[in-house]
Amino acid sequence: MSQLQPLLEPEVTPLSVPAPRKHHRIPGWLSLLFENPKSRFGLVLIGFMILVAVIAPWISVNNPTDFNILATRQAPSWNHLFGTTDQGSDIFSQVVLGTRRSLILGASAALLATTLAATLGILAAYSGGIIDEIVNFLTNVFLVIPTIPLLIVISGYLNARGMTTMILVLGLTLWAFEARILRGQALSLKSRDFVHASKVAGESTRRIVFGEIMPNMISRIAAAFVLVFYIALLVDAGLEFLGLGDTTHVSWGMVLYWAQTNSTVLQGEWWPFLFPGLALVTTVVGLVFLLAGIDELSNPRLRTMKTKKRKKASR
Amino acid sequence: MRWFARRCLFYVFAIWVALTLNFLLPRLMPGDPAGGVLARLSPSQIQANPGIIQTYRALLGGGNKSVWQDYIAYLHRLTHFNLGISTSNYPAPVSEVIGRTLPYSIALVGVAVLLAFIIGTGIGMIAAWKRGGTVDTVFVPALMGLGAFPAFFTALLCVYFFGLKLGWFPIQHAYASGLVPGFNWAFVASALRHGELPVLVIMAAFTGGWVLNMRTVMINTISEDYVAMAQAKGLKDRRVMTRYAGRNAILPPLNGFAAQFAGAVGGLVFVEYVFSYPGAGLTLQQAALGNDYPLTQGLLLVFAFAVIVANFAMDMLNFLLDPRVRAS
Repeated sequence: MSQLQPLLEPEVTPLSVPAPRKHHRIPGWLSLLFENPKSRFGLVLIGFMILVAVIAPWISVNNPTDFNILATRQAPSWNHLFGTTDQGSDIFSQVVLGTRRSLILGASAALLATTLAATLGILAAYSGGIIDEIVNFLTNVFLVIPTIPLLIVISGYLNARGMTTMILVLGLTLWAFEARILRGQALSLKSRDFVHASKVAGESTRRIVFGEIMPNMISRIAAAFVLVFYIALLVDAGLEFLGLGDTTHVSWGMVLYWAQTNSTVLQGEWWPFLFPGLALVTTVVGLVFLLAGIDELSNPRLRTMKTKKRKKASR
Repeated sequence: MRWFARRCLFYVFAIWVALTLNFLLPRLMPGDPAGGVLARLSPSQIQANPGIIQTYRALLGGGNKSVWQDYIAYLHRLTHFNLGISTSNYPAPVSEVIGRTLPYSIALVGVAVLLAFIIGTGIGMIAAWKRGGTVDTVFVPALMGLGAFPAFFTALLCVYFFGLKLGWFPIQHAYASGLVPGFNWAFVASALRHGELPVLVIMAAFTGGWVLNMRTVMINTISEDYVAMAQAKGLKDRRVMTRYAGRNAILPPLNGFAAQFAGAVGGLVFVEYVFSYPGAGLTLQQAALGNDYPLTQGLLLVFAFAVIVANFAMDMLNFLLDPRVRAS
């Protein structure tokens, strides 16, 4: 019985081949992600946050930072769904509008860091020799300098802390650990037959790196992108929470900063920190589950569902 | 021995990069950081310290000397542990401010990281051993979820519920007001009591990572032949899990210890800020907000140094525990 199991396996795997053919419009990778319960949950949460970001201007008040002395420190009600700050601003509008900034900032910083990490990591692994030594050395040095204190010091020096600046700063500081993961993956692909074959066929280094190795690591690169996405989100909100953000704009971190600065928690007001915090957590949990789903898809050993089913089948 | 020399060389280089980065950062930034600091000093402060303008110019740039001369002066002062004077704690030198605040942070992070490691690897081991069991389906997702919570949000929630509403823990500062820091029972008891909630918050943020790492490695270890062999011999389940599979699975997660420590140092800033805990993290935040650049520079150096030392300690431990490292 046990020897037959590998042959039986394709029948019990949830990833049956005909399924994607039924709905033509959805690309294959997306339907794969939807079939994994973890990444489906993640995609639903992220989809919800994207929806909120898109319709934000229609569901928020015109001037979210307006103060209103008659409506300060109000608990959530139908007039102010998430309550008001001690200046009387509507927290619901601030949170909803902050979604845009968070998503755009996270995605852009992750794109920058992933591009850097994938290019450097794979190039280093493939070229080997002195290039690999240098890149590996650089990433390791970057990894022993603690990121948050470094970013706090950098933001302290910056006079303008706009979104573009933060994207650049985060992208340039967060690439290192991603590069290490991707380099390791590329090292294991490097000695595969198809890479040797294209080398013998006379393809250029650039073509082998970007055309042969990179497409085969796409799930790893996607996972690294998602990882940096949520780290960038957290770090940016954290820096703003510490008061190292741009006080003129609207974002989750700024709502949290004002909540802490005015010590609203100690006065028993839970709404100024709960709602922006929950928005942040929802997005991060969505991304974490998406990441877990991608990991399970690319490493079948981690799937719990399948082993359960197999055990049942063998009984 | 060659391996040992290589690692030492790497750490020396890493320290040099941290020093140089610290030197270059204010010079790469737009604006004039040194001018900002000097503008905050009162005329009497400048008069009382004749060399202070030159010191800040050397530290932050913008003087009339060349960058190289500044760099040499900067390195020279560092060899004497002279980090300058903290402008926000005038006239206390930076080293004194760090010496006063750092012990609290070391205690907080040390206890939290160690507990998170022990509990996290334990849960990860059991979760992998009984895959799909209660621990695997309840604790693993719960701790993963907690790990997704930003440390400051967990901290705020804890302050509100456990501190303010339930009154289980003190929520502010490192010891009760009126006590003088020292080695007497009243102070130590109060300091321990005030540390409980911050430690729990840091643990909540970092246990999930250990669980996940340990679980992944353990799943791969379980399918090794020697584990099946141990089971076939009829050894007790518990013994096979801890002595055979767990013992071998713990090395790769242990390698991540230094990275976790670096992360915890970052989380520390937020936790200290929320709890108004007078450690090095809160000091860094206040120095950055108050443009106290000598202090931020000094603290960044101390944090980087702590992480480098943690990395080095882990390498040594690895050397002792893993015969493969020794052989290569």
